[in-house]
Amino acid sequence: MTATLIAILSLIVLGIPITLAVDRRARGSLLLGMSFLYGSGTIFAVLLALSIVHIRWTLINVTAIALAIFCAAAVIARRQPATDNRQPAARERLHVFDLFTLLTVTGYSLYATLASLWEWDFIAIWGLKAKAFLEIGGIDWRYLESHWNTFAHPDYPILVPLNFDFGVLVAGGWSDRWLGLFFVAWGIATLLIVRAFAARESTPFFASLLTFAMAALAVSRYVGLAEGALIAFGSAGVLFVREALRDDDPVAWRNAALMLGFAANCKNEGTALLVAVILAVAAVSMFRDHSAQPRNRVTARLLALWPAYALTIPWLLLRAAHSLPTDIAEGSAMSRLMLRLPYTFQILAYLAAKLYEPWFWVAILAGILLVPAAARRREYFIFFVTAIQLVFYAGAYLTTPHDIRWHVLTSWSRLTGQIAIPIAYVVFLMLANSLPRGEDAPHAEARSDQ
Amino acid sequence: MTLRRLLTILCLAALVALCIDIRLLQLPFIDRKPYSRALGVYPDRRWPQYPHFIDGVRAHTKPGDTITIVVPAMAWDDYYSYAYYRASYILTGREVLPLVTPQNERLPQNLAAARYVAAFGVTLRLPNDVIWKGEGGTLVRLRR
Repeated sequence: MTATLIAILSLIVLGIPITLAVDRRARGSLLLGMSFLYGSGTIFAVLLALSIVHIRWTLINVTAIALAIFCAAAVIARRQPATDNRQPAARERLHVFDLFTLLTVTGYSLYATLASLWEWDFIAIWGLKAKAFLEIGGIDWRYLESHWNTFAHPDYPILVPLNFDFGVLVAGGWSDRWLGLFFVAWGIATLLIVRAFAARESTPFFASLLTFAMAALAVSRYVGLAEGALIAFGSAGVLFVREALRDDDPVAWRNAALMLGFAANCKNEGTALLVAVILAVAAVSMFRDHSAQPRNRVTARLLALWPAYALTIPWLLLRAAHSLPTDIAEGSAMSRLMLRLPYTFQILAYLAAKLYEPWFWVAILAGILLVPAAARRREYFIFFVTAIQLVFYAGAYLTTPHDIRWHVLTSWSRLTGQIAIPIAYVVFLMLANSLPRGEDAPHAEARSDQ
Repeated sequence: MTLRRLLTILCLAALVALCIDIRLLQLPFIDRKPYSRALGVYPDRRWPQYPHFIDGVRAHTKPGDTITIVVPAMAWDDYYSYAYYRASYILTGREVLPLVTPQNERLPQNLAAARYVAAFGVTLRLPNDVIWKGEGGTLVRLRR
């Protein structure tokens, strides 16, 4: 346990100057949450880069590179202006609900470390890859290319297995007993970021209540799978895009792009999320922009996400270079789609029937309908992203080479869990800020149209 | 209080209540040992001895060796997939070859290609040299 905790703390320390290099004004919970995410993403990039140049991973060389990045980021952070035209970060005042958040996180920490990771997909996919890579001190392309190992989904991005590998490098050998702590860290990072955002947009009461409400959504039940990391990076990315659209803030765009890029390296759904964000940004920029040249604004905003593309492309290229198969694309996806299109209604009805926590989604819809139209208009980006992701998921089920019922039963609850935080966040805030006292909340009036 | 305000408060309260996971809040205050024991054996609940057998196979083989698995249940969904995936996890560094496909087609070529056969809960009738025996199974090298 100690080694894994040291690994996680190391990632936080590594991430601090990187966070400040991106956002010099990050403080408090935002700084802490983003530091772990940047540390987690950076160590993935370090291990990937070492593997690409055929340098065997050792604790010494990984630490040396991480230290060099730490120093470079610290120099860049020092050169960033300490003040700018952005609104100052809201002071986060603690509230009693924060204690309940802490209790939820404590409960999750105990759950995630009850035993050696037990999920089947950890044994057959995520943990298996990390263990196989550790054997040779790098990505085992021969293992991924072997057609006997297609069950391990060799096409899946590998941020999570490489984070596991960093943890076991620090530990000095493979053990899956305490890897669950990584999922605690991803969950806490998500909550710290949500807390920081909420503090800027609402009263301390609602900000802490919102964070408490998000606590169980931020931590993944599927300990050992890539869901936890995807929820963290994906939620942070989407919320930063929302802030960037609202404030036209280059720092928010940078954070958004980097978080979305790392999300794309967690699972294929992360890549789908990036595409969904691109489409949603284009939609809100085009149709809600009343300036003379909306296309210029769309182009500028999509170009601002270039770090996301830069982070996503390497794995896509490596996957293509090593011909790693994607099961959804095997055979003729188009034939399967054409065959199933007449049954779309039944398939969607099945998805609705198997929706995990359906009353949660009913409450979300009710909230969207209840809030003032002006508040709804301000959140079109989040609605579009969520809707596009749901369309992508439905499309995946329509084209799956597997039995649809089996595929839905084994994945639908995880997929809906991935997209819950941003939509729940905005619906909660719209409801809270539409209550008369909520009109005095910070930034309640200071919003521009997207 | 207007109707809209009341509905807003109710919706907000419902959203919070639906998001909270009571089990996580309770977990610090209950005896977790039974859960810990259950989850510790959960992946191997049908054959608890199997991972220990595969640990023994790992100890008696070296990186790069090809190994195939024989178990009492040779149908893919009726437990061969478990045996194969579990062995793949424990035997990283070695190459684990399956003997059946997910469609239950036999793969005799893998039996011929494997250096070792790890037979758990079954006795092999093919001529072989026993490398190691224990934990409910035998690691053998087939005589060619």
